[in-house]
Amino acid sequence: MRAAGLFAGSILVAFVVWQFLSTVVFNPFLIPPPLVVFKTMVPMVENGEIFKHVAISLARVAVGFTTGCVAGITLGVILGRIRLVNELLDPIIELLRYLSPTAMIPIAVIWFGIGELSKYFLIFWGTFFIVLINTVAGVMRAPIIRQRASECLGASPLQIFLLVVIPSAAPYIVTGMRIAMASSFMSIIPAEILAADSGIGFLLQQSSVLLQTNRIFVALLTICVLGFVTDRLFRIAVDRMLSRYMSYISLT
Amino acid sequence: MRNVRKEFGEGAERYLALDGIHLDVSQGEFVCLLGPSGCGKSTLLNILAGFERATTGSVDFEGAPVRGAGRDRVMFFQDAGAALLPWLSVEENVRFALRVRSVPKAEWPAIIDKYLVMVGLEEHRRKFPAQLSGGMRQRLQVARALAVEPKVLLMDEPFGALDALTRRRMHGFLLDIWQRTRTTIVFVTHDIAEAVTLADRICIMSLGPGSRISEVIDVKLPRPRDIADPAAATIFRKVEELLV
Repeated sequence: MRAAGLFAGSILVAFVVWQFLSTVVFNPFLIPPPLVVFKTMVPMVENGEIFKHVAISLARVAVGFTTGCVAGITLGVILGRIRLVNELLDPIIELLRYLSPTAMIPIAVIWFGIGELSKYFLIFWGTFFIVLINTVAGVMRAPIIRQRASECLGASPLQIFLLVVIPSAAPYIVTGMRIAMASSFMSIIPAEILAADSGIGFLLQQSSVLLQTNRIFVALLTICVLGFVTDRLFRIAVDRMLSRYMSYISLT
Repeated sequence: MRNVRKEFGEGAERYLALDGIHLDVSQGEFVCLLGPSGCGKSTLLNILAGFERATTGSVDFEGAPVRGAGRDRVMFFQDAGAALLPWLSVEENVRFALRVRSVPKAEWPAIIDKYLVMVGLEEHRRKFPAQLSGGMRQRLQVARALAVEPKVLLMDEPFGALDALTRRRMHGFLLDIWQRTRTTIVFVTHDIAEAVTLADRICIMSLGPGSRISEVIDVKLPRPRDIADPAAATIFRKVEELLV
């Protein structure tokens, strides 16, 4: 309760300071005051324009993030378990991971055009490496004692893998997914700014060309809220479904 | 165990950990491997368990050579928090053992009840390992190991991390379980008092490299033993002299 109050208070203070600065200190055209931003936002909400862009961006993130997680976890589990594969692929991964989704935009547009596929690819690209590296770390750090203890109880290698190693790696995998989720929301924007005809990033780009700073601020606020809400939802989902795998981290 | 030798590493890094280890353990016996830290006790236990292979020499169990970890030899670890599955409750940890051992499902509830009662954890069956004390976690590890009815329990300094009082209670508890199940126990420790309290036979290991069993002492005292008892104290001093 206290935390929620502080949270709301902090945001309220930020809006008041923002209102003051943009009307008294700075040029209100360059930094539109929050009241103006809300006035701009109302019709965009009413006619559904903002939701259309949000839905498109969200769908892109969802597809890219999901496929990236599936691929990252699958390969990560193999790399974490089979040493030879890891030694062969690790150098490549170590180099490729520095290619951020933003760096890949120009080539993605040439490969996949400015349609949905290029956006899926870019989000996939960003998610894949983060989830992969975390999964490998998690699988490799599954305590050897835990595996040996299960082995002498009679567990087969497959059982050890499925019932011991993967659950042991779960906290790492989930952490990787959470970081990748945040990074997806960051990389969808430049992708849409540079090559798209819809989405929040496109709204930013279009408003910039037309010098509509108040609309730019609507888009920026939307990104903040969207990222925040998704992360909270993700955390709630993890708490509901995976808490028994997450809660013991302090123990071991 | 015949002439077991274990080397680690290669070339200049090569280290001879164990050399010429002979040991026969009979069924139902309680044997302690006693030695200073770093003498290779744990390595020897890992070889017995089948986690590691001897460089040369042979380890036989019931007439057949040991290849890999076997269901009849269950290892018991000091770090119960790491050995248990922390995302499973007390009863689920025991159930896990029955599941991987392919015990018919219909028998699970009875077996789980039996061993949780035996170790005194039946009231805590829904708790998770993180909610248990160190001694309770060790008892859960005992229950999980016994549930698969092993022929041999290999214990690697199992009570080393417990406080003195809990430790003493665990000794009584272990002896009670051992007398009831007649499971063979190979128990690694660096604590002389612990060895004298528990063992039928104490194998003293020399400090490496090339560690070997330098002395074997039979302890033919009735249990429960008191280390302050003159007979036990005599053995204690004898072992102490051999170690120093």
